[in-house]
Amino acid sequence: MNKVTQWWTEERRAYLLLVLPAVAVYWAVMAFPAVFSFVLSLTNYNGGVIFNNPNIRLVGFTHYLRMFNDRFFWISLKNNLLIMAVSVFGQIPLGFLFAYVIHRKLVKFGDFFQTIIYLPCVISTIVVGRLWQSFFSPYGPFTKFMQTLSPGWENELFIDPQLAILPVLFVILWMYTGTYMIIFLANLQKIDPALIEAARIDGATEWQVLIRIMLPALSGVIVTACILAISGSLKSFDLLYAMTAGNPARRTSVLALYMYDTAFRHSPNYPLANAISVFMVLVSFLLIVMVKLTEMKFGGREE
Amino acid sequence: MNKIRKSDFHPALRLFVYIMVAVFTILTLYPLYWLSISSLKTNTEFQINLLGWPQRPTFSNYPTAWRLAQFDTLFVNSIFFTATSTLVIIVFSLMAGFAFAKIRSKATSFLHGSFIIGILLTIQSIMVPLFLMSIMVGLYDTRLGVLIPYVGMGLPIGIYLCTEFIKSIPDSVVESARIDGASYFRIFGSIVAPMAKPVAVTLAILNVSGVWNEFMLVNILVSRDALRTLPVGILKFSGALASDHGRQFAALTIGLVPMVIFYLIFRQQITKGVSAGAVKG
Repeated sequence: MNKVTQWWTEERRAYLLLVLPAVAVYWAVMAFPAVFSFVLSLTNYNGGVIFNNPNIRLVGFTHYLRMFNDRFFWISLKNNLLIMAVSVFGQIPLGFLFAYVIHRKLVKFGDFFQTIIYLPCVISTIVVGRLWQSFFSPYGPFTKFMQTLSPGWENELFIDPQLAILPVLFVILWMYTGTYMIIFLANLQKIDPALIEAARIDGATEWQVLIRIMLPALSGVIVTACILAISGSLKSFDLLYAMTAGNPARRTSVLALYMYDTAFRHSPNYPLANAISVFMVLVSFLLIVMVKLTEMKFGGREE
Repeated sequence: MNKIRKSDFHPALRLFVYIMVAVFTILTLYPLYWLSISSLKTNTEFQINLLGWPQRPTFSNYPTAWRLAQFDTLFVNSIFFTATSTLVIIVFSLMAGFAFAKIRSKATSFLHGSFIIGILLTIQSIMVPLFLMSIMVGLYDTRLGVLIPYVGMGLPIGIYLCTEFIKSIPDSVVESARIDGASYFRIFGSIVAPMAKPVAVTLAILNVSGVWNEFMLVNILVSRDALRTLPVGILKFSGALASDHGRQFAALTIGLVPMVIFYLIFRQQITKGVSAGAVKG
């Protein structure tokens, strides 16, 4: 037997054939494009032939500089940060509150409430966006409601650049709180009931149980929830696309929408769009590393 | 089970909790109610009767919206993309997960790790290069050109969940089958895959709700009417007929109903799937 056949065992062949389909597809449509995006962001390639094209040059970080000098970049980034704040400080605490009261049976019909609160997450974001756009529009129930409170109220929600982001933030809070509720609920159910029982017998109050047992047991989940919220808020696209399309005057734009506009509206600028997407990936990795470091410093009491 | 002592919670606090839960419930049910009753009104009635129950409920908006938005095409495409991508993702993830979990190889840490990083990658970060690539290789505006990215996007979480699950199957199961002379493919087909049914269900749930509602990718990779899916078609229809309220709301209702039914049937599994899928980081 020569060396090649010794190496080419049935085990190796099976391994290769088993992982090949997944690796090939994943590397072709995820891993490669991610790297490709970075390479393209350093060139002036703007569509057309890519191989043996004498006009394609490396231009360094020109597009990144252009991006940082674009006011719409900063408007979009600010909106992403607002969405992130709503997610981390709105969805997560509310999701925890709902999970807690349902798990500890502080409200009746917990099952019913759980079903309804999670419902928005399963509906298509496009449908949700169009529905709430109508809801907040001058002919929608919101206008009627405000007009009964103060007659003569003018609905300028989607016209006023200062206000237009508010309905979006509200819908985001409404839509994804259910996800965090489900995550917390599943993890609350994993806590050993005997542990809580014992604490209660020893005379601990419900508050002490919450602060001393439940929150520490959930610290890892809270970190995961924060990471989900951060990467989720950087992803926001569909809802804004359907609700405002970034208007009025691109004031409700977010990074993903800014990139989309750069690449697919008016005259396409692919290198700039690639620079924006690389920036988004870097920010999301950076924020996640920060969350992880915070966890290592302050948390880590469980497991 | 330990009962909560009511006295532990101030009545005002309990009231606050009830109000919060009730507000969220109303905020979900009322817009859906408003949407469905509005879809039963003609435009003339909608203008004079914004919020009330329709005086003469009519279903005539539905057939018109169905025809104008070409809902039969949209449904066929959405079902095709969702079913095919889900099936392929499950098979590929189980295969790779089996190899990663049960066949020793030096390549595993690198390959498996590359998928884990992929959990954090979003469509946004690869959207522009994917679009450019699909034009270069001639997959723009084709079914395959949408299907392959869908499979690629579902694989990271699929492989993570499958590897973890198959690791929990005792090594001795595989080893004794090896001693009996079974090939790895045989072990996969007749032992591992049947045992992995729970993780396959979780994956199916996660992927069905993800792909069915996916908008951005189809919107970019496809321009032909014949390849549009529900979210893309609904948005286009509702943008073009923004002032035609009755039909717009009928179209939104048609888009909403399948997922709501899916949710009400598979509520338990969806809940389980979501918490299992929440492993980012």
